[in-house]
Amino acid sequence: MDIKFESIEGKSFEYRVMMIVFAGFTVAGLLATWWVIQKGIWVTGMYSRAPWGLQIVMAVYYIGLSAGSLVISGLYGVFGKAEYKPFARIAVYIAMLFLIAGLLSIITDQGRMARIFIQPFVHFNLQSMFSINPILYIGHIFICLVYLWALFYEKKTLTKVVATLAFGWAFCVHTGTGAIFGFGARMLYESPLLPASFVAAAMASGTALMIIMIVMLFKLTNRIVDDELIIWLGRFLAICILVVLYFLLVENAYRAYVIELRHAAIFYLFGGYHSILFWVGLIIVGLVIPMAMLFNKRTGKTIRWIVLASSLVIFGVLCERYVIVLPGLMHPPELFPGMKITQSVFQEGIATYNISFLEVLQAVGVFGMIGFMFGWGLKFLKLLPTEARALR
Amino acid sequence: MKRRDFIKFFGGALLSGTTSAYAFRFLTTSILSNSSRDNPLPARKWGMVIDLNKCQSDCTECLTACRFENNVGFHDDNRWDVHWIRKVKLENQIGATVKEKDIVLLCNQCEHPPCAQVCPVQATYKREDGIVIVDHHRCVGCRYCMIACPYNARFFNFKDTHEWVNKDRPKRSHGVAESCNLCAHRLDVGKQPACVEACQNSGAGAIYVGNLNDQYSQVSRLIQGNSVKRIREDLGTDPKVYYLGL
Repeated sequence: MDIKFESIEGKSFEYRVMMIVFAGFTVAGLLATWWVIQKGIWVTGMYSRAPWGLQIVMAVYYIGLSAGSLVISGLYGVFGKAEYKPFARIAVYIAMLFLIAGLLSIITDQGRMARIFIQPFVHFNLQSMFSINPILYIGHIFICLVYLWALFYEKKTLTKVVATLAFGWAFCVHTGTGAIFGFGARMLYESPLLPASFVAAAMASGTALMIIMIVMLFKLTNRIVDDELIIWLGRFLAICILVVLYFLLVENAYRAYVIELRHAAIFYLFGGYHSILFWVGLIIVGLVIPMAMLFNKRTGKTIRWIVLASSLVIFGVLCERYVIVLPGLMHPPELFPGMKITQSVFQEGIATYNISFLEVLQAVGVFGMIGFMFGWGLKFLKLLPTEARALR
Repeated sequence: MKRRDFIKFFGGALLSGTTSAYAFRFLTTSILSNSSRDNPLPARKWGMVIDLNKCQSDCTECLTACRFENNVGFHDDNRWDVHWIRKVKLENQIGATVKEKDIVLLCNQCEHPPCAQVCPVQATYKREDGIVIVDHHRCVGCRYCMIACPYNARFFNFKDTHEWVNKDRPKRSHGVAESCNLCAHRLDVGKQPACVEACQNSGAGAIYVGNLNDQYSQVSRLIQGNSVKRIREDLGTDPKVYYLGL
């Protein structure tokens, strides 16, 4: 099967508007970041009891979205489903961009941004997840580059080797990202399941993103893609959702069951607006409804419904990242079990956090930056196949 | 030699050179030796004892002394204020009786500090004399240590401090994390930490700092002769701040 790859012309009105919008986002993000650097991180609304905010949520979310390449390269490179190979280039390119987005989100969140480019590499700490992860991310970006090179120059053996390597490495990337929280000492973080559930959620959001991208790009550029390929990805997405749901169930059941953690579980499940995000955003809208759509005989085979379900999953996983990062922070470590702190010079007890406009601008800026790079890639790199057919 | 071969050869040499240099450095610094830093007082292990029976509920001398000694950031807004040491009121309800107690909280100088474990740049580290300290010139401000600390004892300088009370000590700059370092600069020259001195001057004398490795030191004798408690000993961090009367 010979596949021809073509770049897009990039002269249409829509393309230009898209690029201008992304450039605008980038400028807004850069300005917001400049302001944060000038004034200090407090302008984003973070404070001593909520030291992490939207940027960390977005970082782990972006990293998760890069898993689309893990799925695609896993499908053809490891499991030999050759019909998915046409999507490899675009999947790897998107993965690389989202890894860059994740890194950018982390970098723009630092108190001393300039130091992040040198210190972590000079004073590497083998025990810190924050030390190991940048190595994993940067390594993955490099692997993506080699992978792209192998794909563009049709190096068959190298592609196979790098695809397998990228598959394994991506697993480490998502496990490592989950371990930032899962290995943490907070009641709502500490969990050996979290790294594994991060992999599952990453695969769900990555697959959902790939479905949307493939359908949208092929439609907009008048390319042909067999419905069968998308339907199969949809079914795979449904299974990912099931796994995510299973992990969520086990984890929350454990917390609710163990007496020591019960009050933390109650806070998590019924303790504020994050609980609404958990139940409505994540469970109902983000997982159960799309899963019902995908398992349904009629809607599970209609491309529009699959795309809609994928969009809901992408939203759901964003909620998931939020309800992992923030409630875990807001719930305080218990200093004196069984006793109550009634008075302090400092905010003890459960903290509050609200997303600020500046943080949204920063997140949008990062998205705009990789969006711009994506548009550039579509125009100057031969990322998209002219057609993608199912094997018969 | 062709240009391509030249690039291949020198590129390869450069890459392998840097990698092996890094690997060597990595092996020598992070695995083989425990600490690459100079240590002024190797035979000591500093510890603190706080006698809550002597601590008076309306007194905040130690807090003020600490703030002035270390130029700790204070902005009159408790969201961004930094508290190297803080005082809380604790309520313990047993049946119908409610017991209230004032307690001073600060960095516990853990023997196994989670903050140092997670620091991606080794800016937070434990000296051989047990003091957990932050290198302000290295900290990147990721705030992972604040998440890892089970005692809520670590703070972040969200804002620049405008006041510079003690000119002998550095002004605190924004963007780095910090916590109590047991006034290491004072202990190193034979002085007591600022909070200890202030507490003694106020007449209460409730805080003691001394060498835990010396069994005749005041702190060792207090620990041996009394029923002492540490906060959340079950976590395995082995804190070195002991409380009497908790």
